[in-house]
Amino acid sequence: MEKIKTIIIEDEAPARELLRHMLKDRDDITIISECADGFCGLKEIKENKPDLIFLDIQMPKISGFELIEVLDERPEVIFTTAFDQYAIKAFELNAIDYLLKPFSKNRLDEALNKALDRISRKEPKANPIDALIAHRPEEEGPVTRIVIRKGSGIKIIPLANISYIGAEDDYVMIYYNEGKALKQQTMKYYEDNLPSSTFLRVHRSYIVNLEKITRLEPYSKDNYVAVLISGEKIPVSRTGYKTLREKLNF
Amino acid sequence: MRHPILSKRSRITIWWLAWAVLAVGQSLLFYFIYDIPLVLALADGFISMILFGILGLLVWFPLASLKSRDKFDLVTTANFIIIGGFIVYVWITGTRFIAGALFTERVGYTGLWNNTITYRIAAGVLLYGVIILTYYLILSAVRLAEKASRQAQLEAMVKESELKLLRTQLNPHFLFNSLNSISSLTVSDPPKAREMIVKLSEFMRYSLSGKNEQPVSLKQELENARLYLDIEKIRFREKLVYSEEIMESCMNALLPSMLLQPLFENATKHGVYESTGQIIIKTSAVYDSGNIVLSVFNTMDNGVIPAKKGTGTGLTNVAKRMELFYGNEAYLKVRRTEESFTVILNFPFKQEDNN
Repeated sequence: MEKIKTIIIEDEAPARELLRHMLKDRDDITIISECADGFCGLKEIKENKPDLIFLDIQMPKISGFELIEVLDERPEVIFTTAFDQYAIKAFELNAIDYLLKPFSKNRLDEALNKALDRISRKEPKANPIDALIAHRPEEEGPVTRIVIRKGSGIKIIPLANISYIGAEDDYVMIYYNEGKALKQQTMKYYEDNLPSSTFLRVHRSYIVNLEKITRLEPYSKDNYVAVLISGEKIPVSRTGYKTLREKLNF
Repeated sequence: MRHPILSKRSRITIWWLAWAVLAVGQSLLFYFIYDIPLVLALADGFISMILFGILGLLVWFPLASLKSRDKFDLVTTANFIIIGGFIVYVWITGTRFIAGALFTERVGYTGLWNNTITYRIAAGVLLYGVIILTYYLILSAVRLAEKASRQAQLEAMVKESELKLLRTQLNPHFLFNSLNSISSLTVSDPPKAREMIVKLSEFMRYSLSGKNEQPVSLKQELENARLYLDIEKIRFREKLVYSEEIMESCMNALLPSMLLQPLFENATKHGVYESTGQIIIKTSAVYDSGNIVLSVFNTMDNGVIPAKKGTGTGLTNVAKRMELFYGNEAYLKVRRTEESFTVILNFPFKQEDNN
């Protein structure tokens, strides 16, 4: 039987060592690479196409969730984290597994068996992870940044650079100062998780950054468009116009 | 304020039942004393009592406006009497008017009326007094219940904040990650693992001993900080570099226990956790004419956008505790650049009495 190719992505060296040690006697698993941050993880996943990754959630620069979001082809994922009150949520959402550090060898084997089972059956695997991302367990407060894919790498966009977000079927398009990027996420997610002080859903298909609006123009009877600093025009629905007026105080 | 009777269905029922009882009582009284037909007595009783019942409900509104003054002075008393006089007057003339319109002269109502007018005035005054008393009893019962529920809410809030405090003291992320590192050390370096367990225990003991307002010396606080950073250093190794530059004369300065802990936690959280490169944390303290100027400095990865925005409660709490402990001479300053973050505490030098 072919060995399962695995990558460990974890920012703390002792945690990586421990995991490597615990996997030592599993001859069905081979660790092809280890990464201390998400950027390295992204590169390794693209180049080496692992079957399985162990992924820490809290890491510098980009979190484990943000990393998963920008992957085209997702390997099976076992999340590892020290403390997360949403762990149970993740289980409900059928994530392949969610290990709470420190975890026992037995618990690890259990997770591995689940993963092996899934890999051998070649099940399509996108769905559970998508569900997990949509709920983004690790963050309680509003989103502070959006991670997108740029070429073969990734780019972290601070909210201040985002002018608006538009719906594109099952995706959203993020329009920011240097261009636009497609992202697999829902409008509802951004409506709920962007800071409501600066971002407002002005239309079924648009969320706009209030700081980028220069003026509102009537478009037709009962309809308005918001004109952005960049000159772009965003349609505003009637309810959107009402809340916009409240927010901007006029 | 809502009407104490009309706001509750059950009270409305009781209200009218009481008036029915009074009406029957008065009717029987007149029936036996004045020997009038029972029907006439009952009609008179119900007319007068229903009328008073209505007036009694209406009188709440002027009373409520008086009550909102919440002072029982001469003016209020005078107002009570005037309202009372008015009510009794309206009641008596009203009853007479309605009864007069209903009964023909031959049933002898005028005779009954003339005989009972004194009684009616006395009864009116008495009933008015009873109504006022009822309103006050209901009101104070309502207020008491409100007060009790507010008290319960307050207690729940206090409990919750205590719990929150405990949770931050325990800092689960730190605890579980440390345990994981120790677990790793048991394989690679068992003596070091034992050392770390001791350090973690000492740190936990110090933070849990927390009568938070108990003063400790700067020396103790720094020892605790070193324990904490040593433990973080096993997790992050050479990524975390810590140094101190403390004037010897500052070491005995008193400060509330665990005052500095949030500063070191912030430095690791925003510095080390968010960086892929090396982060330097440095504590310095100087004595300057009766004051201690203490700063905790950390470098940061340039241009990092934190995954979570800090709530700022950590630093606010530090400032609040300093104010409680030192009064308003103490203050907290923050200096932020692209690549570093410094918190500067300035507080008066207090020392333990030697005796």
